[in-house]
Amino acid sequence: MNADLIPALDPAGLPGPPWLFHILLVFTFVLHLVFMNLTLGGTLMAFAAHLRARGRSRDANAVLASRLMGVNTYAISLAITTGVAPLLFVQVLYQQTFYAATLLLGWIWFGMLVLLLIGYYAAYLHKSFRGPWLGVSALAFLAIAMVHVAVHLVHAQPDSWSELAANPWRVLADPTYWPRLAHFLLAAVSFAALVAAWWAVRRARAGDDVELNTRIATMAWRWALSATVLQMVDGFILLAVLPKPVLLGVMQGGLATLGPLTVSIVLAIGLLVMLARAGNPVGQPGLVSGTLAALTITVGVMAITRHQVRVLYLDPMTSRFEAAITPQWGTFSLFVVILLVGLTTVFVMLRRVFTNPAEGDEAA
Amino acid sequence: MDYPVWSSGLSGGVLMAWVAVTHVIVAHFAIGGGLVVVVTEALSVKRDDRELRELARRSSLVLILVSTVFGAISGVGIWVVAGLISPGAISALIHTYVWGWAIEWVFFILEIVAALVYYTTWDRISKGVHLMVGWLYFIAAYLSLVVINGIITFMLTPGDWLATGGFWDGFFNPTYWPSLLLRSGIAVLMAVAFMVLVAVRASAERRPGIMRYLGWWWLAGALVSYGGYRWWEASLPATVTALFRGASPLLPTLDATRAFALWSLTVGLVLGLLILVLVPRLARAMTVVVLMASAFAFFAGYERLREAVRKPFLIHSHMFSNGLLVGEIETINGTGMAAHSGWVNTGDPDPVALGERLFRAECASCHSLDGYQSIRPLLPTLADVQRVVGDDPPGSGERCFRIECASCHREVEFSDMVAALPSTEEIRADVEMVHDLNLSMITTTVLELRRMGADIAAFKPGSTFDMRELRFPVMPPFVGTDDEAEALALYLASLDHPTPVAAASGGE
Repeated sequence: MNADLIPALDPAGLPGPPWLFHILLVFTFVLHLVFMNLTLGGTLMAFAAHLRARGRSRDANAVLASRLMGVNTYAISLAITTGVAPLLFVQVLYQQTFYAATLLLGWIWFGMLVLLLIGYYAAYLHKSFRGPWLGVSALAFLAIAMVHVAVHLVHAQPDSWSELAANPWRVLADPTYWPRLAHFLLAAVSFAALVAAWWAVRRARAGDDVELNTRIATMAWRWALSATVLQMVDGFILLAVLPKPVLLGVMQGGLATLGPLTVSIVLAIGLLVMLARAGNPVGQPGLVSGTLAALTITVGVMAITRHQVRVLYLDPMTSRFEAAITPQWGTFSLFVVILLVGLTTVFVMLRRVFTNPAEGDEAA
Repeated sequence: MDYPVWSSGLSGGVLMAWVAVTHVIVAHFAIGGGLVVVVTEALSVKRDDRELRELARRSSLVLILVSTVFGAISGVGIWVVAGLISPGAISALIHTYVWGWAIEWVFFILEIVAALVYYTTWDRISKGVHLMVGWLYFIAAYLSLVVINGIITFMLTPGDWLATGGFWDGFFNPTYWPSLLLRSGIAVLMAVAFMVLVAVRASAERRPGIMRYLGWWWLAGALVSYGGYRWWEASLPATVTALFRGASPLLPTLDATRAFALWSLTVGLVLGLLILVLVPRLARAMTVVVLMASAFAFFAGYERLREAVRKPFLIHSHMFSNGLLVGEIETINGTGMAAHSGWVNTGDPDPVALGERLFRAECASCHSLDGYQSIRPLLPTLADVQRVVGDDPPGSGERCFRIECASCHREVEFSDMVAALPSTEEIRADVEMVHDLNLSMITTTVLELRRMGADIAAFKPGSTFDMRELRFPVMPPFVGTDDEAEALALYLASLDHPTPVAAASGGE
């Protein structure tokens, strides 16, 4: 490693113990993943379904695409909003490598903003004008995923910086790049598909256009099954191509690393079994809800493993530095109080919205 | 300073200005829009006024499309660009104020959820609950300003934080309250600027009344903005106001920026009074666009001024615009930049190549070679010397002297300079002599910048520095060893392209 290339630690130090920021980073990243999966997986699926519908508006594919993009009106906003917090905490913990990675990728990292604007506005344009906008949106979100995977890999591997300074596109040749990207894409599609299936099952069971919703549920279920099968294969490929010290670190990390990894593999196998068992999702609503819950938990556990892999990647570098810790417990406590008040306010607001429909003249 | 440098081909400052100015316009609209739209809806309910309700409803669509989409993305964009052009500064802000950012994030979530609910539930939920959602949106949006205002103003006037390092000492700094008042006024201005676009579509009979209603908001926003601006300016330390105020400001262009901003606000105030309040039938698409432009021009001018008056700091008296910390000056002068940054140390050992890497580390955050704040035209060149000495046509030599030489040679007259320089014949006979002369001038300046570091390091730590006493009050010092100063000078001198030299020496 060219150790000299690593910038100094920020002299301000960490405004709290490192474990607190590790927890906050993983927790808020999982929150972000929920909406990111809906955005990315939903848009990709919607685009495929839109193509398969071939302009037939009552086709199950067309309705599925429309529903997914309807959800995305909210999901894209919330993906950005929830993405702010992990972006904040990663800068606190990994200031030395994160900024260096974004600087080495330069315009590629900046391009993420442009892609986000394109992807978001294209999603709105699709709702009003159809045309090619859904494809544009899907491509933009796919490219954003590629940028994020690149930044993550560059920041985790300071050894590669000298080469990347000459040609940042070399990150695409990293053996873990494509399996890692596929891991995110497949998880996103599985999640969006299961949400779509769960929603269609609820509507079918409520007697709302039973035939159409049954077809949508079955179709989305198949999407989820296919993506999860591929995910199992890709997951093992990703594990196998990890750099040897990182892989050894995972395997020799005891319960701390093997625990989450084992749980996520068991959950993934469980997911496969659950997905394969339901020939008719509408007839098994409990299984559908359970599968969605299991996938959400799997995403959460996998996020822990992902973070541990990052820590192992960076261990040769971080072990050379010791950040000063200057806790700000007073302002942290204020944050916790405001977080609780804020979330309670959101909850109360939404409950009042759902329990106070417009009546009479108000509904005009 | 020890990060890799992004070679974007653009000035980082210009890129940041584009992202930041567009973001703040939209973000302040999101705040002011929350207030004006919700009050408008409340009035429409109270008066059972369908036109006012339509104004509020359609404005909420603009609010969603502009603020929650573009505002959210450009807000992240500021972090992205700041990380690319000033990683040290954004790191310092995040490490010092992480819990402030985290609190702002909570308000941001509430704001976005409330905005989405507000927009999608018109006529679908009871009016009372809909209004409650609107008020929650505004309160969350305003509270996010209350938080972010502390972090923004901290950079210009960190106040007691410089001595104590305390979160609240930096947060409630000398310009916190003036800036909050100013931004509150601007938020209302931005809201009306967008809402008049919606209001021009109101029915002909109701348009005058709606325009007048918006006009009062506009006047209130403009007057509060003006008061806030004056208070903000009065709260600045003298070392900052010296950059753009007084008989001979250090940066006259900033004085012009200030005048531009205040005249734009004046135009907006008068125009708003005329076309919204007094003769609202004049409020048509074209006139309201001019009105919007005046508000945007005022706000953009103020933002440019606020950013620029921090020169040469990113965090006043703590971190320079190239990421150098005041506390690092003496250390780096002793050990050298190459020992401090691997990105300077790694590569071709040739002094000119080292000088280029030093330029990238210490100068490129403000200066490009040939674009914005370009360094090449500032350097003495063979062509400049030939123009000054040759003075052909007559007068051109003195003009060149005023532009190229006088800013450094303040006490030297044109005739003295010509006398001190070699003659045209001597230059033709030995071109290298002028190159050596230029190199020595550049070296002298770099060494002066290096000595300035010692002056700054001698300032009373933990206080706001008075930069007016320094030779280059808007420049960071050069830090590094004598050899590194020489390497930077060699690189800068090499920027004098050889082509004009050959043409000049061979052509005459």
